[in-house]
Amino acid sequence: MDVQPYVLIILGMWAVSYLPRLVPALFISKLKLSAYFKRFLDLIPYTAMTALVFPGIFYSVPGHMEVTYFGAAAAVLSAILRLPLAVTVVIAVGVVLGIMYFQGM
Amino acid sequence: MTARQLFLQGMRAGIPVVFGYVPVGIAYGVSALEAGFSPFETILMSCMVYSGSGQVLGVSMTAQHAGLVAIFIATFLINFRYFIMSACIFSRLPGLSNLGRVLASWFVVDETFAIFTTAPNKLAKISYLAGIIALTYSSWVLGAAIGVAAHAVLPAWISAGLGIALYALFIAIVVPGCKRNGRILVMVLCCALSCTLLSMVIDGSWAIVISTLVCAAVGALFIKEEPKAVDDNMTASDNSSASKEGK
Repeated sequence: MDVQPYVLIILGMWAVSYLPRLVPALFISKLKLSAYFKRFLDLIPYTAMTALVFPGIFYSVPGHMEVTYFGAAAAVLSAILRLPLAVTVVIAVGVVLGIMYFQGM
Repeated sequence: MTARQLFLQGMRAGIPVVFGYVPVGIAYGVSALEAGFSPFETILMSCMVYSGSGQVLGVSMTAQHAGLVAIFIATFLINFRYFIMSACIFSRLPGLSNLGRVLASWFVVDETFAIFTTAPNKLAKISYLAGIIALTYSSWVLGAAIGVAAHAVLPAWISAGLGIALYALFIAIVVPGCKRNGRILVMVLCCALSCTLLSMVIDGSWAIVISTLVCAAVGALFIKEEPKAVDDNMTASDNSSASKEGK
């Protein structure tokens, strides 16, 4: 793995997370957001997480792409069945680790 | 109520959040180490960024070798909703000093917002907010620390297999919205397809940023229902979806 500038990543992420929190805290009186812009902001988490999962999930277990297909399918199924978040995570990890174990890692 | 009582009330209100934060914090801690962050940096990020989805996004993108600018833009996009939440929280605290605002706004997240903006007026004081923050923030940092400790005792292949955990979490967060609203489902499918196709021709992290922006911009034209915001630190299944619409 190549080395990333980790501390810089943390500082930058801190700045872009803190500023949107700080600015309205100090200047809250003059805020006007359009309804469209609010809907856009509400949808961002959906699209951001989806874009992150596909295709990223297939590279999430280095050297074992095939097990991620089963892990992803298990997670989708579990989520459709409305199992709790933590259960979905445990099922997906369990499927992946189970297959890897039987493959002899 | 005295400041002390308010503080304790705030802590009590934060207890359900702890059950959501600690497991996610653990998953985050393990993934951050897998992505190459040191134990210190992993916990530092939880202290500084304090944003479940933001940190998980940043760690996943780092693991995917994304560039700095793409990571910052993606984090900014996913965390920009704090802008509105912060406005709602601090509009209930008109007498608060600027120093208080600078400090307290550090800890604005979905759960703080949900609890504080739906609290009755007699509780909506800075001490109550501080109580919520004290408990939830420390449980988030503690979760990351437990993840770091767990990583040290796990065999390498298990740590590698845990790489899928955060992605499974994203799936679990996105799917309920898709079930509730067919248009969100269509948007999400288009987003998955466009990101997968785009990443074949351009850098993967830019594919994420572009798909995120374009799909949400188009989606906001067609999705009129006020979508419940996806949960930040992921306690969605239990307590917070009901209290989300605090105006």
